[in-house]
Amino acid sequence: MHSALWVAKTGLNAQDHGLTTVSNNLANVSTTGFKRDRAVFEDLIYQIQRQPGALSSQDSRLPSGLQLGTGVKVSGTQKIWTTGDLQETGQPLDLAINGRGFFQITLPDGNIAYTRDGTFHMDNAGQMVNVSGYLLEPNITIPDQTNTLTISKDGIVSATQVGETTPTEIGQIPMVDFINPAGLQAIGGNLFLQTASSGEPQEGVAGEAGYGSIEQGFLENSNVKVVEELVHMITVQRAYEMNSKVVSSADQMLQYLAQNT
Amino acid sequence: MDRALYIAMSGAKQNTLGQTAEANNLANVNTTAFRRDFEHARSMPVFGDYYPTRAYAMEERPASDFNPGTLIHTGRDLDLGLDNQGWFAVLGPDGQEAYTRRGDTRVDELGRLINGEGYQLMGAGGPIVIPPYEQIEIAKDGVISIRAAGDEAAVIAEIDQLRLVLPDQTRLEKGEDGLFRVRDLQPGEAIPQAIDVQVVGEHLEHSNVNAVHSLTQIMSLHRQYEMQVKMMKTVDENAQVTSQIMDIQ
Repeated sequence: MHSALWVAKTGLNAQDHGLTTVSNNLANVSTTGFKRDRAVFEDLIYQIQRQPGALSSQDSRLPSGLQLGTGVKVSGTQKIWTTGDLQETGQPLDLAINGRGFFQITLPDGNIAYTRDGTFHMDNAGQMVNVSGYLLEPNITIPDQTNTLTISKDGIVSATQVGETTPTEIGQIPMVDFINPAGLQAIGGNLFLQTASSGEPQEGVAGEAGYGSIEQGFLENSNVKVVEELVHMITVQRAYEMNSKVVSSADQMLQYLAQNT
Repeated sequence: MDRALYIAMSGAKQNTLGQTAEANNLANVNTTAFRRDFEHARSMPVFGDYYPTRAYAMEERPASDFNPGTLIHTGRDLDLGLDNQGWFAVLGPDGQEAYTRRGDTRVDELGRLINGEGYQLMGAGGPIVIPPYEQIEIAKDGVISIRAAGDEAAVIAEIDQLRLVLPDQTRLEKGEDGLFRVRDLQPGEAIPQAIDVQVVGEHLEHSNVNAVHSLTQIMSLHRQYEMQVKMMKTVDENAQVTSQIMDIQ
């Protein structure tokens, strides 16, 4: 059959993935700590139909051959780790990371997940949990009767009890970083898992040795830029239309051939 | 039977090849730094015992379009575009140097600087490896400097320089993997580092496919194809009429 049909099909498929990525980004425009995805396209292999330099007659050579591309593929999606804007909330348990780094969250199955979403809450035992109720790692328990809670830039959590004037240190939130954060696996719920491509987690103190500092009372906004996504959507949609035009053109050619011979 | 049937048939077949080439361009209209392929047909006279009266059409890809695509601002520090002409050198799948304009790079778990297609970028002395960093800066001339994780803000270390080249365009050829290589490279011949190739940070180069042109070309090839089929039909009708004349009543 007409090979352009299959080439255009790969184009439609890729633009389809592109649109899914754009719509997921747009849906998460207000998600705390969300990092936008970018669909990465690459051209598929080329097939040599006629080798350049082949003999065209006994003593002449073809100056150029015919190499046909076979279309496009989505080689993956890439998380773009630019920092989102920090927004002040004034909540003592809202934490933002200013710079590189992640918080660690213990999943119900005991594994550690990583997040930049610092919207923490207290559970019924006074432990710091994320929005889904998963424990912060290492676990920090805020004592009863706490009047004010202070979390310093290097992650030291101190609480002042009712009736006291001096705060007591109750724990420290460490920072974890990866050499290739783009290789982390997103599992939803603003959480990421370590993979072979992200490298091993390296734990350190916030605000030191290249780790970002912790800002209490701030949240990191999504880094999705609405205008950019809408422009992407336009290019994706028009590219989709043009590829479907190719499919219909190839279809009409085959139809014409079938009807006229 | 009239051999015109075969000429029309080969024309139709070559039209579909041309359309495939343009369909590939259109499929890659959103692929970062994709270079459009040209496509044209050439007449190939058939030489034989007789005079070369028949000329078949033959589809060719003479070259790729080296006009730069639009640079788009992305704001990501490892997205690299190239201003005007020039190429990044990458380590091809065959272990040899190959060239691409694609600069959507990332640092992988081993610290290698690789682009969106997974090819490792070359530096002054081979593939680039970047130690853990807090801040990375890639200058216009491709010099990569980092502030290593844990270092003071004033300590900037120069790591490597991107290998940027500007080979003779007439010798550049797109391979089966979509990377460009220099044709007929003599043994010992090296492509020098080009000093006038400039890196544009936080930008990516868009595909240089002109969608309007490709779509128009596809429409034009479509109509040409229909005319070839029409020719085949005409030849067929001629043959029918001939055989009717010869019919014994």
